[in-house]
Parts: sequence; C-alpha cells; structure tokens
Amino acid sequence: MTEARTQILANIRSALTGGEPRTPLRMNELKARIESSTPKAQPQFEDDLLRRFCQKHVAVHGTYERVAAQDLEGAVLRHIGAHQVDPQLYLGAGPLLDAVQWSAQVFTYFKSADQHTQVAVSEAFAAIAETGTVVLCSGASSPTSHNFLPEDHIVVVDSARMVRHQEDIWPLLRNREGAVVRVVNLITGPSKTGDIEQTIQYGAHGPRRLHLLIVESA
Amino acid sequence: MSAAASQKVAFRERTTRALRDSNLQQAMGKARGGFIEKRLEAMAALPEFDETRDAARDIKDHVLANLDGYLELYEQKVIENGGQVHWARTAEEACQIVADICREANAQVVTKGKSMVSEEMHLNSVLEAAGLKVVETDLGEYIVQLAGETPSHIIAPAVHKTREQITELFHEHHSKLGYTDRVTQREALVNEARSVLRGTFVTADVGITGANFLVAETGANVIVTNEGNGDLTSSLPRVHIVTAGIEKVIPSLDDLSVLLRVLARSATGQEMSAYTSLYSGPRQDTDSEGPEAYHVVLLDNGRSTMLGGDYRSMLRCIRCGACLNHCPVYSAIGGHAYGWVYSGPMGSVLTPLLNGFDDSVDLPNACTLNGRCKAVCPVRIPLSDLLLKHRLEQYRRRLTPLFGRFLVRAWAWVATRPRLYQGLMALPLWLMRRRGRRRGALEHIPFAGGWTDSRDFPTPAGRSFIRQWHSRKGKS
Repeated sequence: MTEARTQILANIRSALTGGEPRTPLRMNELKARIESSTPKAQPQFEDDLLRRFCQKHVAVHGTYERVAAQDLEGAVLRHIGAHQVDPQLYLGAGPLLDAVQWSAQVFTYFKSADQHTQVAVSEAFAAIAETGTVVLCSGASSPTSHNFLPEDHIVVVDSARMVRHQEDIWPLLRNREGAVVRVVNLITGPSKTGDIEQTIQYGAHGPRRLHLLIVESA
Repeated sequence: MSAAASQKVAFRERTTRALRDSNLQQAMGKARGGFIEKRLEAMAALPEFDETRDAARDIKDHVLANLDGYLELYEQKVIENGGQVHWARTAEEACQIVADICREANAQVVTKGKSMVSEEMHLNSVLEAAGLKVVETDLGEYIVQLAGETPSHIIAPAVHKTREQITELFHEHHSKLGYTDRVTQREALVNEARSVLRGTFVTADVGITGANFLVAETGANVIVTNEGNGDLTSSLPRVHIVTAGIEKVIPSLDDLSVLLRVLARSATGQEMSAYTSLYSGPRQDTDSEGPEAYHVVLLDNGRSTMLGGDYRSMLRCIRCGACLNHCPVYSAIGGHAYGWVYSGPMGSVLTPLLNGFDDSVDLPNACTLNGRCKAVCPVRIPLSDLLLKHRLEQYRRRLTPLFGRFLVRAWAWVATRPRLYQGLMALPLWLMRRRGRRRGALEHIPFAGGWTDSRDFPTPAGRSFIRQWHSRKGKS
C-alpha cells in the first residue's frame, strides 16, 4: 500500500504546487503552527463559571447535586435510591473518588463495565463551563466502558477543575503527568437520539441519566 | 441510451416517485422546519457565530493548502501511538484494506458507527460478501439497514421513515429474537433497538467508525455523536478501524474547538452533541481495556483531484447537513432521489466530482439557486455558485440537451442586441400585461406550461426598466 500512499501524496502536491517537492522548511512551519497553536474566536460570557456550567448541564437534560466531599457516598445513594437502582457501583478513579470510604451499603467493582452494568461512578478530569461538558480521560483505573455501558452515569466534578472555554482543557491534557491520554470523552448530557421522527428521545445506547456530583473545593 | 441519459431518466423517475410517496412526504413534513428553527436558536445564542464560521473556513483552507504536510504529520503521530495508517486511492482499495484487516483478525461480527465514507465505499456489501455479519449501530443507520436501504440524510439517515414504518421493520426483524409485541411509541422503539444491539456491541470483533476530524497534533480521530454508539463501537471490540476521507485532517486541538463550535450548531442546533470523543490508538500497557489494534484507512477517491480545480472549497465540508435541511428541493424529494450517498446541495456538488459528470447531469440542475445552502454553510462553501459552475461545465462538455443549448445561444444572441431585444419583447410583454391586468398574475402562458402548470406567473410591471430610464433621463 506504500504505492497508494506515494501516489496520493504526489497527486496532492501536483494539485497544490504543480508537483514541486515540499521543502523541510514548510514542514517545520506546519509543526510550528501546531506547537504554538492558540485559541481563536471564542464566545464571551459571564464570569460565574459554576453557575453557567450548571445551567448548560441542566439544559441538556443533566441533573446535579452540589455536595461536600465527605457526603459523596450519601449523594450516590440518594441518586440510585431515587431511581431504584441496585447499589452495585463500577468505580473509576480520581483524587475525590479515591478518598471515599465506601460503606457496606454498596457493592463496589473496579473493572470494565459490561452489558449488565447499572451504575458507574467516575471522576471528571475537568469540566467546561462554556457548554456544561464533563471531560473524562481513559486510564488504568478509569475504563472508557464506564462512560457508555451503564444505565446511570454518576460523575464527580471538582469545581476547582472547572475551566471557561473548551480550549482551556487542551493545555491541561498536554501538560498532564504520566502516559498520553488514549481516550478523551467530552460528555454533554445523557445519551439521546432524534432518529425517530426527529424527536429527541433519551437513553439511546449510552447512559439514560447523567448525574453530576459537584464538590466545591475550599 | 447513454449513461447520462439513463441517469437522467432515473433521476426524474426517482423524483416523481418521491413526490408521490405518501410515507416519505409525511416523514419529510415532520422533519421540515425543526432543523431550521433549532439552528436559528443556536445562532441567536452565540453572537460570535459569524466570526467563528470565518475562523472555521480559514482553518480548513489552511489545511487544504498544506494537505500533504498535515497528512504526513498526522500519520507520524498515529504510528507513534501504536496505530497503523492505510492509504486508499479508490473505494475498492479501501474496502479491500478493511476486509483484509477483518480476515486477519479472524473476525465474525463487525459493528459500525455512522460513517458516510464507508457508505461512499459501499463497505457493508463487500464485508458481507466476505462472510461477515455487519451491524449498523446508529439508530437511523440501523433502521435503514433493516429496510435494505441507504441513508437519505448525512446526519439523519432515516429521516424519510415514518414511525409506523419503523414499527413494522422492528416487528419483522425482532420477532425472531423474542420481541414479539408490536411497539409503536418512540420510547419503546428506542428501548427495543437499545436492547437488541446491546449484545452485539459486547460480542463484536471489529468496530468500524468514521471520523469527524483527524487531529495532526495528537493523532486522534474525533467522533461526534448523540447516542454513544460510536463510542461503544470504538472502545469495545478487539480491533478498531477508522475510515476517513483525506480532507478530514486538521492541525491542532485548538482548531478542533473552533470547528466543533460550528458543527453541532449547524447540524442539529446543539451547542455540543452529547459525545465528542478523541480516540488515539490501541490500548496501552497501562490500560485495562480498549482495542488491541487501531487502524486508520485514509480514502482519496477523487479528492486529491478536486484540490487542484475550482471546487477545492467543497473539501472544506464538515458534513453537518445544514445545506440539506435548508434546501427546498431536498425537503420535497428526500435524499434517495439524488441516487448516491451524498444528497442535497453538498451531494449535487460532490457527486459529479467523485462519480463523474456524465452520470449526474440532472443534479446541479435540480436547484432553484435560492442560495440558502451557501448562506447557512458553517465553513462558507459557496454551494450555489459551485452548482452554477457545474451547469457551465455541463454546457462546455455538451451534456446539456441540444434544444436547451440552442435556446441559450439564441437568447444570448438576442440579448446582446438591445434594440432587437426590446423590440421582440414589447409585444409579449404587452399581451401579458393585458391578460393579467385583473388578477396581477397569469395562470397560463403558451409554451411555458412547465412553469405555469404548478404556479402563477406574475404580471410584468407597467413599463420596462430601460423605457423608464430613458424617459426619466429626458426629464432631468
């Protein structure tokens, strides 16, 4: 298939420059553009990021509770109690979530979700006020399947990890310690579809409910 | 009959059939307006929408002017991440690559996220011929797959189906799986599809998705969905294959943010779709799950040729579907009448370029040149101008019917002789004014039945512009 590669790239060059070879200088310019990339054309909005975030999250059919870090288990129990879901929790990882001492009222699993998983509890890497979006990164203890297979997805959000614009998460990801993040999921509300009569129906293939537990750091 | 003539007949037939199809008309009637309203609301909520569109256009133009470079940078990153990049000149080559990967993986079941490029490749039929079970997982795609059809809209594949038709399809195909009740409510239909597809998601060997964007900075493919099916397809099977056109690459994550701001708003009027996900390779040592292999198939299929000509701007297209939603012709006839995977204004521009001018003569002419497509395009593709360019190209290639060509030339000959033109027009204009005086409109004009059969022709104004000009000039 290297033949196809060579020919496609040659076709492109011939269409763009009449076939002149690209100089290393040009390649360096493109690399420099990527490396020095900055945000463009961002929307302006109010300064109260948390308020904006909550409004946007509710507008896409999400629910939330503002809780203290010590009350995370209580908040999880309130949510699953309200929806009569078994307290079998598939747990992700994160500074807030790791600190929870789960009681005997819940069963906790630290593994991939499967087709019978009811509830996953994750911790967001960051949250975006602009659109009410939570950012979830894959990792050893935070499998991507937790974000999509359960019926209920509960996400812990540290309000200190709230950013204004979507672009603000890119430096956080670029400067993150450890391995490169393989999967980044920007999640804005529960799963939905408009494919039947162009009318929104929630709970298509992903979680039916997206419930956030927002912890305000001191 | 030449290929052009047969396509032409086929297009007319398909259009007539579409206009008489009561299910199609009912479904399109329900969809009409919804997309337009939601987009308007989203625009109103973002005062910076127009400058964001300019920025989006500039990013795409910059990429296209440096496409080879960005493709190589992107490829490098994918390889660094442990993935493989395959290049395909044609749809056949791309299908072969995908089929080979599936065979080497000993795959039996393949799940698919919505991918227009894979529709362009006719991938499903190739994989099925190779003995694989292929399951579309986007609800709309799943519905058209059950119906044995192709998508009729790039983002709403089953927009042409009524709820009653979906009920029957599900009953026909799901009864044998134990879903014997005929469900009619939207919620129940969605739940049934969710439940049927759940098992397939977790047992599939290979997942195939498209890509809304390919980011050169990180080597990630980005998919934007509302259902979450694309994510289940990307993350659960052993092998993940991404099919994408070569024009999908963009430089950086910051560029991605700009494009995402215009994509969902233009498509469905959302600020963000429920899921925007970046996948950048196979599972790492530190991962507890994820595909063992990650492949990207980059498809050219005529795109590199488009890059050199007058139609380069069409490669800016981000497949949002806004031009379809705002096109009166699309809204009347639906997507299937266009005869290929891409429909509406963007399809009428693309199809002749990717499939050949001879086989798609009618598409650029099935347009009223109202310009709404151009006005709503998030990356400012001058769609109606490109359609006009197609018509000119058809005229140059002598694809326009002989009589039409004669009329155009005759009109041009007369119109470039002002005195003759005015002299010849005086009598018909006078007659039309006389006959239409009472109603202000004419119900019938001889030799113009094609126009007046379905609408009135407004009575010409009192005196022609040139006459008025002359008499006013005399007075001043």
